[in-house]
Amino acid sequence: MACTTSADRFGGDGGGTALLDAPSAYPVPIDERVGPLWDALREVMDPEIPISLVDLGLIYDVRQDGGVVEVDLTFTATACPCMAFIHYDIQDRLQREPGVEDVRVNETWTPAWTKARVSPEGRETLRKFGVSM
Amino acid sequence: MARYTDEELKEKVHNGFIVEYPDEMTEGYRKALIVQLMVQADTELVSAPAYFGAAKDAPSTNTMVSATAIIQDELAHANIAYRLLEDLGLDKDQLVYGRQPHEFKHPYGFDHPLENWAELVVANGLYDRAGITLLGDVFKNTSYGPLKRALVKVDQEETFHLRHGEMWMKRLSNAGGEAKAQIQRAVDWMFPMSVEWFGLPDDMKRHSGQLDYKLKGMTNDELRQTWMQSTVPLCESIGIDVPAHWSEADQKYVLDFAFPCEYDEDEKRWLFEEGEIGWDQVFERWKRRGPSNKAFVEAIQDGRGFRKQLEAAA
Repeated sequence: MACTTSADRFGGDGGGTALLDAPSAYPVPIDERVGPLWDALREVMDPEIPISLVDLGLIYDVRQDGGVVEVDLTFTATACPCMAFIHYDIQDRLQREPGVEDVRVNETWTPAWTKARVSPEGRETLRKFGVSM
Repeated sequence: MARYTDEELKEKVHNGFIVEYPDEMTEGYRKALIVQLMVQADTELVSAPAYFGAAKDAPSTNTMVSATAIIQDELAHANIAYRLLEDLGLDKDQLVYGRQPHEFKHPYGFDHPLENWAELVVANGLYDRAGITLLGDVFKNTSYGPLKRALVKVDQEETFHLRHGEMWMKRLSNAGGEAKAQIQRAVDWMFPMSVEWFGLPDDMKRHSGQLDYKLKGMTNDELRQTWMQSTVPLCESIGIDVPAHWSEADQKYVLDFAFPCEYDEDEKRWLFEEGEIGWDQVFERWKRRGPSNKAFVEAIQDGRGFRKQLEAAA
């Protein structure tokens, strides 16, 4: 199962972070997640459920400066058993992009992930997989 | 009084009948199922202390969370199998806390200490793969309904353990140097250990109740081949040597060492140079159990003292 926290006990807004969940408040709004690096990250899947890290809302930002790519990454839970997998899968995939020499992954817990960060496409995928959102 | 004779039940399960309740079993079926579930439960249980020893060697807190999540899964899988044994009239507490270490039914391979991160991830890559091979076959073929349903979750989680093993075997091998050498050393003793785990070759195998009652579908040699079909290419792809190769002539994987052979427990080394031994000698070695048998089972049973105090107070 995905290592999602049970947001229910905090109420429907996923723990008092409703403001952060307005799409305009996302570190990178959904409609600006374009370009080859975002596309590459769309190929990196969660290790446990069939959804990409981008659709799951774990990627906060990706920037390139010369050959160096920097990714801001969060996780669904601090006890997620897949943290190392995800970190390395991102590095492995982005290192295959032309011109990329080094991939730095910044793990961040701010702002917090909530289930509201899952994209509409991701929601549909999860519903088919049997995970209610 | 059982509803069916043994012969009737064997025929029925091979025609698709699924056993759901104890009164649909014959004594022979029940006994074969108990043996299968005991091996499954004990293997999952003892893998927990075995993995824990090496999880302490995790290279970061994130990776320690992954390793301990795997241990938690294994304990849950053990719990599932002991729960199924309770339906058959056995007592879980007695099974876990009331047996001597040598009475547990897990394979000999899990009687050996895993001493570093490389050994843990190779155990995930090789032993958990053996587990998936065996349980995947049971899931596909078993005539026992409750076990089939329980295995859906177990197989999904075991796949995660396998992925953990493969990812780290690749990573450490790519790093080269001492990291790769540690993976090679771990594979050197765990590859033949896994091959032996699948048991007697088919041409020596006594009559198998588990096949007759359709508690599994594949023979020992078929399972061993299935395991090698994915293990050998994985190791070859990351530059790790294994003592087996694909034979075009035989259209199967062939072992490059005397099998079965003796094992030096102190040096963690198979004595290929001493040549083939008899399976009776293998069974004797299994029966003696390995060096960590007592420590692992005691690690599980440590809580017994507390249980007694709580029971006394109640």
